[in-house]
Amino acid sequence: MTMADGKPNFRVVERLKIKIGDAKNLGKGHSTLRDGHCTITLDQEEIFRTATIEKAIDPFWGEEFEFEIPRRFRYLGVCVYERDRPLGRVTVRRDQLTSFNDKDHWFPLRPLNVESEVQGKIHIEIEFCESRGRLNVRLNEACELAITNGNCDPFADVTVRYTNDKTETQRTKVKKKTNSPVFDEAFAFTLPGLGGIPKQHLSGQSPTADWAELIVTLYHEISGSNTVFLGQVIIPLQGRPVSAWYFLQPRNRKSSLREDQSSNYPSVGSLRLKIHYTADHVLPSHNYERLKHLLMNSHSVQPITASTVYLLGEIIPNKIDSAQPLVRILLHHGQIVQTIRSLAIWEISKVTDANTIFRGNSMVSKMMDESMHISGMRYLHETLRPPIERLLAERRPCEIDPNRVKESTVIEHNFANLQIYVEDVIKAITTSALKCPTVMCQLFHTLKEVAITFFPENKEIKYSVVSGFIFLRFFAPAILGPRLFDLTKEQIDSQTNRTLTLVSKTIQSLGNLVCSRSNFKEEYMQRMIQAVYTEQNITAVRQFLEIISASAGPAQCTQDTPVTLKEGFLRKITTWMLTKRAQGRNKFGRKNFKQRYFKLTTRDLSYAKQKGKESLCTITLSDILAVERLQQESFNKNNMFQIIQPERILYIQANNCVEEKEWVDLLTKMCFSNSKRLTLYHPAAFINGTWLCCKSNIERTTGCQEVSTSVDHIQTSSVDVDRELSRIHALCVAHIDRFDSVLKACECKAVYPGDRLCLPILIEDPKTTFITLSTLREIIYTLEQEHRTVLRTIARETKYGSKQAPIGDDNYLLLAGRKDLSAHHQQKVW
Amino acid sequence: MMAMVTFVHKLPSSFAYTTQQELTRNRRAITQAPNHPLPTYKLVVVGDGGVGKSAITIQFFQKMFVADYDPTIEDSYIQHAVVDDDSCVLDVLDTAGQEEFSAMREQYMRKGDGFMIVYSVTDPNSFTNVPNFFTQILRYPMLLVANKVDLAHLRKVTEKEGRAMANRLNLMYMETSAKDPPQNIDRAFHEVVRIIRNHPKELSEERRRRRPKCLVM
Repeated sequence: MTMADGKPNFRVVERLKIKIGDAKNLGKGHSTLRDGHCTITLDQEEIFRTATIEKAIDPFWGEEFEFEIPRRFRYLGVCVYERDRPLGRVTVRRDQLTSFNDKDHWFPLRPLNVESEVQGKIHIEIEFCESRGRLNVRLNEACELAITNGNCDPFADVTVRYTNDKTETQRTKVKKKTNSPVFDEAFAFTLPGLGGIPKQHLSGQSPTADWAELIVTLYHEISGSNTVFLGQVIIPLQGRPVSAWYFLQPRNRKSSLREDQSSNYPSVGSLRLKIHYTADHVLPSHNYERLKHLLMNSHSVQPITASTVYLLGEIIPNKIDSAQPLVRILLHHGQIVQTIRSLAIWEISKVTDANTIFRGNSMVSKMMDESMHISGMRYLHETLRPPIERLLAERRPCEIDPNRVKESTVIEHNFANLQIYVEDVIKAITTSALKCPTVMCQLFHTLKEVAITFFPENKEIKYSVVSGFIFLRFFAPAILGPRLFDLTKEQIDSQTNRTLTLVSKTIQSLGNLVCSRSNFKEEYMQRMIQAVYTEQNITAVRQFLEIISASAGPAQCTQDTPVTLKEGFLRKITTWMLTKRAQGRNKFGRKNFKQRYFKLTTRDLSYAKQKGKESLCTITLSDILAVERLQQESFNKNNMFQIIQPERILYIQANNCVEEKEWVDLLTKMCFSNSKRLTLYHPAAFINGTWLCCKSNIERTTGCQEVSTSVDHIQTSSVDVDRELSRIHALCVAHIDRFDSVLKACECKAVYPGDRLCLPILIEDPKTTFITLSTLREIIYTLEQEHRTVLRTIARETKYGSKQAPIGDDNYLLLAGRKDLSAHHQQKVW
Repeated sequence: MMAMVTFVHKLPSSFAYTTQQELTRNRRAITQAPNHPLPTYKLVVVGDGGVGKSAITIQFFQKMFVADYDPTIEDSYIQHAVVDDDSCVLDVLDTAGQEEFSAMREQYMRKGDGFMIVYSVTDPNSFTNVPNFFTQILRYPMLLVANKVDLAHLRKVTEKEGRAMANRLNLMYMETSAKDPPQNIDRAFHEVVRIIRNHPKELSEERRRRRPKCLVM
């Protein structure tokens, strides 16, 4: 949202995360709520709706919504409904939202008819004349009025109340079908008993009546005398009333603007909500350059515990708060892999039990989560939607716990149902390897490499590290809660919920490849796990894990047995030595194509005359510089592709287009992280001394076309880096006292090495940590000053009572509030 | 005065139910029958990933230590137990520690009668996460469990720090090891049962809230 009055240098980004928990004392006695749901509203516009709970006394929704607020609003509302009948509503004013941040609160539900949420504003001109004996009121226009049942036919009552409590009311015409009416009507009032004669000022001791207040009330006309209240403005007339834009307010709201108007109404129950609201003030990019630079360099800081990323993770109390913006920034700038790598090396070096690496909630696991979440959502949907949709469409019973079924006879049947669903999901996952986003694959590869370096004797670790993320933290939670991962919008009943739990458990066990070891866990699960723990599935899972963490780099461990990924017959051109071809053998007839049995493993690509025969040639994956399609003109053959190696190019023809794609995609994936990967290649062959594509006659010239990017596109273009950087700035400001205590600890430790008492966090290298932290603090300080300057300018330039900041504007108050906060920080900290 | 509830006696071995509602109904039937000695307590074991929640639970139920790590999604175990000469049924839910599951956690957080928050004394991160679990549970009887104390040479979180945390959160504190020979495993579970029993007010309030029909004035 940009500030409307032409401030392109500054924008406010508001985010709201709201979790709806349970409701209690729903004012229905002790009867059950039937078909209850909640809606979330901004002013009166519904933006989200929860699932419907069929029957419950104290319904529990447990749903979380997170979104960016697209427009200005005054009230956040959460309304509880029984079927279509609203039971009550929680209303929170925007300027009060931050005070509820991060903690669960019970909010009172109020009946809906109290008109507590009113929206819109109106421009009123007020003018006294004849020495306050006459009052001229002009209603110009109103806007953003509430729309009732799709209609808005507004009119206004202009009422003047006198000190003797007498009132006089005049009415505007009804404006049809608009919620932004232009009234443009003037009204004149005269003090009673004076008849237009100038009134004497007797310092408030006047025996006759005086002006008390002006009340402008807006209604929507339904038919005849039937009206709906839209809001009102009450302006005291004792002083000098201002001609300005006014926010409409609820009825009965006297004098004080900040009074909680609805507290007088009876509560109809309570609703538990967890709200997290942030409003970030984003400056132009150049302000964040230094902060960005500091973050980008994190991975090269030694030790890593003295780097900005690590320190932010430790100093900001909730790791997820800092991990979220950090990952977005690093992903956008292509730094995520190196950064996570550096952190992972440090984390693993502290681990003593290879079984539990990356299993806790550390900075690495948080950043991995976030990376998978950002880059892998589309992949997750593509993979899991079909099997989950089927499961939800059929909803067959799958309970196999003998303690949870009425008759044990159904277990066999349920077992078969469950197995079908599980196999469905296994197949969907294990065949999805090629679609796994490149950045995820690179991360898996990196972590696998690091783990192997630290635990070389552990044969399983190369799988468990990867499955610990892709299965445990990616697929399993999504299967367990498909609504939370946007896999479905459908309602999930308790039986289906249980099915999903069982599927998720089985998948996780299989993914972990440790079935034989978990014999001590729930007995009834053993049979299911054994049933899906087939040779075929194990191989499929292994292949899947290999492909998504593949790289043919030199670090690939040679001691472990390679896993076969794909094999089959292809035709290759017999003379693939470029040199030989240059010597004149340039005719390619049918006889030049030889049928060979190709086999791709995690280590190399090889071919033999027949399946099972000794291979004629083996190409190490790290020697494959690129795998690309070949233009048909080269050999006048379809379905051809080329495997480019340092000294030669292998031209291969597949049997059909599907096979060609499969081989090219798989080979590209396997070789994508090769350090020697080409950037340019020739899409056609070098024949008769010429590259057919670019007509160059130098055989060794670099390619003329860019190599294919990976199958997927990392959706980082949508990352708003400045906004994420301003988020980090805001987090730092909020916890600046923690920065100072760590800084103090660094000094302290530098003086008394080994003193553990004054350390709030682990400090390995006090000097470097001190340098990083003080640089960061200085950057934050500069940024904060810039913010304050901008805010001050805005506060100065915003006219209270203008259309942008009407009188009674919470936004204006919020702005002022933030200014005070930063002033406070300035005083306290610096 | 409580209303009498029709009640069918079931031994733990035949403790059968199809739905969650029926489970709760059975449990209440047992709990609230004035003459019957078998109340059911639903215990939930929470804590960071890899701190040994499953090891503790399996050691308690199967008297065995599982060294291999197979991350848990959600496992439940039911067993007859005798605590302070009183019989009861313990229905223990072993949960996922990874934060990816936190959004789904609330469902069982609401259902538990008592909670164990477990951390590993070798993993400071799991210790600093304790307050997060605490704020999620909040109103129920809880026990703070410091696990893996057998790994003395790798210990990073001292007993003093653990007790300080327990004091700050107003929780009972216990040090355990699930490795053979187990230390304090049975005691920990029994302690939670004791804490639940000593909170009759809260518990009955909870019950009333869930099943107001029992409230007869």
